[in-house]
Amino acid sequence: MSERALVVAAAVASAALVALYLALGGSGYEPTPVQDPCEPRPWREPEGIEEAAEQFTLSGLDGAACELRVTRETLALALATESSRERFAHEYGISDAELEAAVRAGVERAIDDAEDAGALSSLVAGGLREVASRLPVDESIALIEDARGVFEDAQGLLDQAGGVLDQILP
Amino acid sequence: MARTRTALAVAVGLVLADSSVVVLALPDIYRELDVSVTAVAWVLIAFNLVLALTALPAAVAARSIGPARVTVAGLVVFAGASLACGLAPDIQTLLVARCVQAIGGAAAVCAALELMPSVSGSERAAALAWARAGAIGAALGPGLGGLLTELVSWEAIFLVQVPVAVVLATALAGLVRDEAAPGAVAAEVRASGSPHLAANAALALVSAALAAALFLIVLLLIEGWRLTPIAAAAAVSAMPIAALLGARVGARAGGRARAAAGVILLAGGLAALALMPSASIVATLAPQVLVGVGLALTLSALTEAALAGRAPQAIHGGWTIAARHAGVVAGLLLLTPVFTADLESERDHAEQAGTAALLDSHLDPSSKIDLAGRLADRLDEEGERVPVLAPAFEPLPTDPEQRAATVELRTALQEELDKAATHAFSASFLIAAGFALAALLPVALARGRPQL
Repeated sequence: MSERALVVAAAVASAALVALYLALGGSGYEPTPVQDPCEPRPWREPEGIEEAAEQFTLSGLDGAACELRVTRETLALALATESSRERFAHEYGISDAELEAAVRAGVERAIDDAEDAGALSSLVAGGLREVASRLPVDESIALIEDARGVFEDAQGLLDQAGGVLDQILP
Repeated sequence: MARTRTALAVAVGLVLADSSVVVLALPDIYRELDVSVTAVAWVLIAFNLVLALTALPAAVAARSIGPARVTVAGLVVFAGASLACGLAPDIQTLLVARCVQAIGGAAAVCAALELMPSVSGSERAAALAWARAGAIGAALGPGLGGLLTELVSWEAIFLVQVPVAVVLATALAGLVRDEAAPGAVAAEVRASGSPHLAANAALALVSAALAAALFLIVLLLIEGWRLTPIAAAAAVSAMPIAALLGARVGARAGGRARAAAGVILLAGGLAALALMPSASIVATLAPQVLVGVGLALTLSALTEAALAGRAPQAIHGGWTIAARHAGVVAGLLLLTPVFTADLESERDHAEQAGTAALLDSHLDPSSKIDLAGRLADRLDEEGERVPVLAPAFEPLPTDPEQRAATVELRTALQEELDKAATHAFSASFLIAAGFALAALLPVALARGRPQL
């Protein structure tokens, strides 16, 4: 192989491989973006208590994350365990009071979103807001993580109201 | 004579393999000795730095004390230091032992070059054999290191070298008895003239690119894609195989053409590694072949050029060793902070994307909360590393629908992490490709010189 042919062959082999990898999308990786928690996120049509509770949890996480200026995803991992919560608070320099305020804001947003989506009546939503404003932070977190009780109780109230109406109305 | 020639070539290969042999063991050392990625990189950097700094003094010592004496003494020091590396209880001891190992290694390698012409027939044949032994040692190092780490432990990499170095020292001891009294060295060194600047500058740049190639590929395989050392050793074997086969490519071409072609292949291979379309071993193979062939072409051409027609050989060999290993150190020092920062940032992005996928998945809410807790624990356990998430998904739910949703989520999350890890190395591979391309400048500037 002549000197020129050797250099040209090396250049062609290199350029061909780089072009092939570019054509196959080698430079196209972008991490999946995560949504700003302060932006409204529409509720999917809840089909039952489980789904309504799930939407409530996600809205609650959005509200608290927006208050803390972190992503919903960061907060979800942070609230998952006691140790992850402590680590998160330390890493982001968040005091207990700030975390408590954020969690309350999250619960409020979840109640608002549930009311707007028709998953909670105004009556139940108003009562819940009153209760949530007095809940200790651990119970507020528990409420965000598992809101099935809220919807079961709300459903129970509606069922009772329906029964009373059935008796009154002809 | 053949036995002496083989012993000298093996000694050179053994020492220069040490500049890369621990690459696959670094993750194990990093975990076992509980140090940071930056600290563990110094297991490589310290050896190469001391080798670069002591190569020239070692060559002068070979001329003044006698090359056979210095080769044998160097191998004995290398063996003792290798033993200390293998028994090191902490990172500090390991780093000190690595420095001593490099001093012994520099003595053995530089002095061996002075002995080789008498057993190789000519200075050119000696220079070629010496350059090839070094290139093959450096290329085989990671694979051998990975095998030993997986089959035995990282300590075995160093302990295995002890008997080899002792046997080599014993085999070469006969040369010491026949060695004449040393001559007037100071005048000789002054008369040796300046080193071949273009060839040595190109060697430094190419070595920076090569070090990055070896170090980054291995870290990507083990830390990014979480392969075992033995699987990573198998995966990176494409490079030394290509280097061995590539030694025959362009044999009739001149030094400058081989150096230029090698540098272009090296840059192309590294650029392709930066642009891999998928996080799979297959995608690394073609770039590795280019890097391997490039290594074979360029290292031997540049080393031959740096040594041709220059005497004493040990001094000019010392310059090439200093240039090569200074390049390795520069490459590692420049790229370690780049890929460490990129890896951390990509890991965070992938964690966010993965958690978003979990929250939006079709798992029931209580499973999501439970899984988020296990993922948080898993991320905590894995610390700075790219995590393996599979254990967080165990045990899988019994309900078929939930089980399928969990498996789908697990696959999606691990793929996201693999892609993120691959992307995290892109900038570093591109910088390394830049080092390789920069070597074209000294190669081109040497235009008109007969040897390059």
